Amino acid sequence: MATKQHDVLIVGSGHSGGMAAKILTEKGLSCLMLNAGPEADLQRDRTMKSAHELPYRGFGQPGRLPHVFQANEFNANQWVDEKENPYTHPPEAPYNWVRVRLLGGRSLFWARQSFRLSDYEFKPADIDGTGDNWPIALADLAPYYSRVEQIFRVSGRKEGWPQFPDGDFTDSSFPPDSESIKRFTEVATKKGIGVSKWRFAQGRDGLASSINLLLPDALATGKLDIVENAIVREITVDKNTGLANGAYFLDRHSGREMHVKARVIVLAAGCLETTRLLLNSGICNSSGVMGHYLVDQMYGVSVVASVPEARDGKAPENLMGGSAFMPRFRNLSKKDKRDFIKGYCLHVSSGGDASPHFFPLYGEELQRKLDGYAGSCVSAGIFGERVPRYENHVRINNDVKDAWGIPVLHIEARDSENEVNLRRDAANTAEELFHGAGWEVICKTDQVNPPGYSIHEVGTCRMGDNPKTSVLNKWSQAHDMKNLVVVDGASFVSSGWQNPTMTILSLSMRASEHLGEEMRQGNV
Amino acid sequence: MKRRKFVQNLLAAPAVAPLAAQTQNQQQRPSTQPNTPARQVPQQPHEMAQLAVTEVDLVAPTQPRFFTPDQFSALQKLAAVLVPPLKGKPGAMDAQAPEFLDFLISVSPEERQSLYRNGLESLNRAAQDQFHTNFHGLEAKQIDTIIRPLLVARYWPQDMPDDPMKHFMAQVHDDLRTATANSREWAENGSASPTGGRVRRFNRGRGMYWRPVDPVVRG
Repeated sequence: MATKQHDVLIVGSGHSGGMAAKILTEKGLSCLMLNAGPEADLQRDRTMKSAHELPYRGFGQPGRLPHVFQANEFNANQWVDEKENPYTHPPEAPYNWVRVRLLGGRSLFWARQSFRLSDYEFKPADIDGTGDNWPIALADLAPYYSRVEQIFRVSGRKEGWPQFPDGDFTDSSFPPDSESIKRFTEVATKKGIGVSKWRFAQGRDGLASSINLLLPDALATGKLDIVENAIVREITVDKNTGLANGAYFLDRHSGREMHVKARVIVLAAGCLETTRLLLNSGICNSSGVMGHYLVDQMYGVSVVASVPEARDGKAPENLMGGSAFMPRFRNLSKKDKRDFIKGYCLHVSSGGDASPHFFPLYGEELQRKLDGYAGSCVSAGIFGERVPRYENHVRINNDVKDAWGIPVLHIEARDSENEVNLRRDAANTAEELFHGAGWEVICKTDQVNPPGYSIHEVGTCRMGDNPKTSVLNKWSQAHDMKNLVVVDGASFVSSGWQNPTMTILSLSMRASEHLGEEMRQGNV
Repeated sequence: MKRRKFVQNLLAAPAVAPLAAQTQNQQQRPSTQPNTPARQVPQQPHEMAQLAVTEVDLVAPTQPRFFTPDQFSALQKLAAVLVPPLKGKPGAMDAQAPEFLDFLISVSPEERQSLYRNGLESLNRAAQDQFHTNFHGLEAKQIDTIIRPLLVARYWPQDMPDDPMKHFMAQVHDDLRTATANSREWAENGSASPTGGRVRRFNRGRGMYWRPVDPVVRG
C-alpha cells in the first residue's frame, strides 16, 4: 500500500505538539502527529460514581501508581500505568514522574495557572549572577505570549511589576475581595510584599487543552493526520546527510513496528519522554549535557491558619472566601540578603476547612475540632524555584524496559541546601503574615513532596548559543541536527517559580513559526 | 467557532452506540462467504433488557482472612474508638471498615502489610504490659493512655512520621476514616455535611470516575 508522505513528524499531542501542529499546518505544511496513547471520549470514558461502587472503595488499587500522589481510584485510569511504563530512581531519592498518554496529554488536566517568565529568569547572569542566561529575553518571547494568551483566554490583573510581567488578558475583572483577603493584603503590603490575583486560562467550553484550542484548527486545514496508540521508539538518521529522516514506532496494542519518513522531526512528548527518545536514539548529544539540569518546582510547603471570628459557623458575611497571589518577592534586588538565591510565589485561599490530620486528636474530640474550624481556614502554599544543577539528571537504564521493550529512564534529582533554606523562608514568611493578621496558625510544614510532584519538569535539553554547553539553539533546533526541533519543556534553561505552560506554548509557537519559514526558504 | 463545534460534538457523542444500529450495520455488511448455505453465527438480539442487579455488599459481608484474630480484634477496637458514630453518621464499625481494611491490606505491598501487622501487635503488647489484657479488652481511658502519645499532626496525608508506631497510627486513622466516609452506609445515611478529609475531596463520596480508556489487553 502506498503510504502518505508528510513534511513534518510531530511526536506528542499536548500543548506543545498541538501548537506546533496548528502553526505548521496553517503555513501549509503537512504534518503527521503520533501519540503514544488513545483518544479519550469524555462522554464514553467518564461517569459519576460513588466511592463505595469502586472495587477498592476509593483507595485505588494498592501499589498501582506509587509515584502519582494526585491519583485516586476515580482518576486512576487517566494516568500512565507505572507497570507498563516504569522508570527507576535511587531508593533514597524518589522522583514522581506524572504522565498522561491520552490524546492531548497533560493539557487535559492542567491547573491553568498562566504566567510569563521575566528577565529575572531569562537573564539571571546579567541581573544578579545567580544562573545561566537563556539565549532569549522576555522581549523575544513577549509577542508570542500575547498571542497564546488570546487563544487560551487568560484572565489576570495588570500590575506593572518587572518580576511578574503582565499579559494581554482577555478578562481583568475580579469580584471584590473578602474581608479576610483584604486583611491579609494589608499585612503583606506593609511588609513590602505585592499581592495580586491568579492568572488563569479560561479556555472554552470548560477546557483549555490542545484538543479544543489547537488541534481543531490544525485539522481544519486538512494538513494534519493524527495517529493514536503509536509509541515512537527511535529517531532515524540519514547516513549521507546526518539529518533526521523519520522514526520507528510501535502499535501500542500489537507491538507491530513501523517506520515513517519526514523532512523534519518535532519532538513534543513532554520533557522527559522527549529526552528518553533522543537518548535511546543516540543523537543530538555532542555537548554531553542532554539529560542534565533536570529541574522542576518545589511544591508542598504549606501553612494553614484559622480566623477566630469565623469559627463555629459564626463567620460574618464577606469575611471568608476568595484568594490572593503573591508573585516572587525575594532576592529582587542585591540589597535583599538571604541564605538562598531565587524565590517563590505564595498562593493564598480563604474559607476552607481544617483537615483531620492537622490535629493529634481522634473520635468525638476530633470531630468537635473539625466542626468548630469548618470554613474558618486560610491556607498558603508555594511554588518555589529549584536551581538547575548538572548532577540532577536522567539517563537510560538498559536493565529495565517498558511493555514495548524500550529501555526506560533512570532519574536522579536531589535538593541542595538552597532549596532547603528557600522553603524554610517560605513557611516562616507565611506564618508571620498569618500571625500579623491575628490568625491562629494550626498547621505548618516546610517539607516538600519529591521532585517531579509539581508536574513541571523541564530542562534536560537546554537551549543556548554555545553548542558545547547546550543541546538546542535559540529557535529550539538541535545544534547537531537542524531538522530536529524540541518544542516541549526540555528546552528550558531554568524553571522559574512560574507554572510553565504559557512559556512552553509560546516557545513552541515561536519555534514552529521559525521552522516553517526556514522550510519555506529551503534552509531546512 | 470551529473549536466550539469540536467540543460540542465531543460532548454530544452518545455514551454507547445504540445496539440496534450496531446490529443493523452487521446485517448490511456484505458477506465474505456468499455461497455458504447456512451461517452458524447466532442471531444478535435487537434489544437487550437492562436488569436490576444488587450490590454485593448488600448480600454478603467481607470475610476477614489476613489478620490474625488478635490483630483483627485490635483493629476493630481502634475502629470503634478512632471513628465512632457521630452526628447521625455511621462509625467505622457500622461501615465494616475493619473488614474492608483486612481485604485492602491483604492486597497491599508488603511494606504496608508489615506496618499494620507490627502496629496491631504492638498495641496488643502495650495493652498486656500496662493492663494485662489484649487491646480489645481495654476501656476508653486505658486506650487513650496508649494511643494519645502516638498521634502526630501532619500537613499532607502522605507526610508520615518516621517512628513506626506513630506512622502506623497515622495510617490506620486515615484509612479508617476513608473506609468509613467512602462506604455505602455513609452515602445512604442522611444529608449531614461531613467535614474534612477525603469525603470532601470526593464530593461526599461521589466523583467523576474514569473508566479504563482503551486498555492494552494481552493474552
